[in-house]
Amino acid sequence: MKWDSNNVRTMPQATREIKRRIKSVSNTRKITKAMEMVAAAKMRRAVAKVLATRSYADLAWQTVIHLAKKVDTKRHPFFRERQEIKHAAIVLISTNRGLCGSFNVNLVHKVIDSIKIHQPESKTTYIISYGVKGRDEARRRHLTLMADFHKEDITDNSVIIRPIVQLVAKDYIDGKYDKVFVAFTDFMSVLKQLPHIKQLLPIVPKIDERLGHIIHKEDLAEKINIDNISEFIFEPNTKNVLDAFLPRLVEVQIYQAVLESEASEHSARMLAMRNASDAAGEMIDDLTLTFNKARQASITAELADITGGRAALE
Amino acid sequence: MKSIKLKIVTPEKVVLSDTVAQVSLDTKMGQITILPNHLPLVAELVPGEIIVKKSAKGREQESWVAVSGGFVEVLPDTVVVLADTAEYAAEIDQARAEEARIKAEELLKEKMVDSEEYAYVAAKLQKELARLRVVRRRR
Repeated sequence: MKWDSNNVRTMPQATREIKRRIKSVSNTRKITKAMEMVAAAKMRRAVAKVLATRSYADLAWQTVIHLAKKVDTKRHPFFRERQEIKHAAIVLISTNRGLCGSFNVNLVHKVIDSIKIHQPESKTTYIISYGVKGRDEARRRHLTLMADFHKEDITDNSVIIRPIVQLVAKDYIDGKYDKVFVAFTDFMSVLKQLPHIKQLLPIVPKIDERLGHIIHKEDLAEKINIDNISEFIFEPNTKNVLDAFLPRLVEVQIYQAVLESEASEHSARMLAMRNASDAAGEMIDDLTLTFNKARQASITAELADITGGRAALE
Repeated sequence: MKSIKLKIVTPEKVVLSDTVAQVSLDTKMGQITILPNHLPLVAELVPGEIIVKKSAKGREQESWVAVSGGFVEVLPDTVVVLADTAEYAAEIDQARAEEARIKAEELLKEKMVDSEEYAYVAAKLQKELARLRVVRRRR
């Protein structure tokens, strides 16, 4: 009898507890749902931007390929391969905010892998970070930070990343490092983003399939055969044009990488938030089931009590 | 008749992609006009205007595009303009362009201290002047 009355008292308590859990989970779901919506809106903007820039980056790259074929590539330090690679630098483009799944962790893993590949030949690899999360992750992994640039949430134009270009170009020419890479997350589609590392300097004049490669297939199709061209005219002269054009190319590439990363970031966050909302939904279903079971159990127990009591009286 | 495939692109968008009869650009060495079968050339552009001539159905059409610098690559029957910014004459609001020019001029008078800043403002003034030129020509 004692046990029974005890049980009856705890039952409403248990259901109240479950009710509270359901409430709290559904509040969380509201938040993740809202965040998913925000990420989706930002993603649309970022994707439109990255698609718009691709054709420029593509044509600029094509021009370099043409130039490299017709100009003695030893003439400009940006083209010259160095004999001995002492130091390298990686521009790490990550995000400022978290809650985007394993986005930044994947990127840093990729960076560490690539450092391992290059380690025998290069003694130190410096990290130039653009984005807080990547910087923190890189520090946790004891990578050598060289510079940290403040990242805006949305990079509006290429002027913002110009300081990075200046630093990289200057240090490269001064010989502080002999190779420069950029680590970013390539935007393949809303569902797929791949961390990727690309060599910036020295410039390797090959067709670039990775940096922005979705819509520009049509551009590649109308590639012009320049083998029968004997020579380019440069105005004012070769040196001036290369001096002006090559830093611009580096800038365009970093800018493109930043835009790719931003499009990827918002897609990744949107997906992460959608998964969170789905998981919250499942949890609510589960809890509701448990709640109903508990409620039924308490009713059954009460009924059993009443009938038990009546049987005792008779 | 031979024609040129012209592409004007900026980091923001593809401004123009068309077959045209001739195109004139402001380079560091002065204005050049490119006709079909031009020799391969790479040149730096200064803030200025690109004049595109196109003959459609026997009639000549001209359009103006203001650019704020960049590069041009000329290949046989293809011209690629990699512009920093580019705007059609129709897209430029004359009153606002004028305002921007006056502002740039004032800034140039005020701040003569910092050479880097001076260069920046001077470049801005050049750019605004180019835009204005394009707009006035259209009217």
